[in-house]
Amino acid sequence: MKAFQQNLQKLEAADTQVLGVSMDSPFANKAFADQIGVTFPLLSDWGGDVTREYGVYVDKYKAARRINFLIGKDGKILEEQLDREAIDPTKIVDACERKKLNR
Amino acid sequence: MRQRPMWAAAMTLAMLLPLVATDSRAQGTDASMKLKVGDTAPEFKLQYFDGHDLKDVKLSDYHGKKNVVVAFYIFAFTGG
Repeated sequence: MKAFQQNLQKLEAADTQVLGVSMDSPFANKAFADQIGVTFPLLSDWGGDVTREYGVYVDKYKAARRINFLIGKDGKILEEQLDREAIDPTKIVDACERKKLNR
Repeated sequence: MRQRPMWAAAMTLAMLLPLVATDSRAQGTDASMKLKVGDTAPEFKLQYFDGHDLKDVKLSDYHGKKNVVVAFYIFAFTGG
């Protein structure tokens, strides 16, 4: 999440909202956000319904996989990044900036 | 007696192989993913705590306005 924070200005400049999602409580997520200096919302999927609907629930962890979805203004999925790849937001920043140039 | 370590090593390898295979598949392609690029992202409504109140966020709040990065992470207070 820190890596997204570092790229937040670029993402916002490219009309992109970042939302973190985990199965922690809203209060744990707020404490986490404060600790690592994240200013975008960290949403709480308490119970994991959304995590399952997106197909990213992992039985072994009883939690989500580390996955990013980039969703366009039309609601369609533009990019997916899985696991280790998902920690580096550079590709998403590039995709958003490219999209902006194409408009 | 001397065969036992070999047997154990073979068993360990046999058990680890599927894990390695699963992991490499997850890295490379999205074959294991339920949602594919081009699919419509399912609507959701979730909450976060802004320090005072619980706020609702819906994916549809951003339709026609902004792209959205939905970044699933495993747990608070972990890396990534």
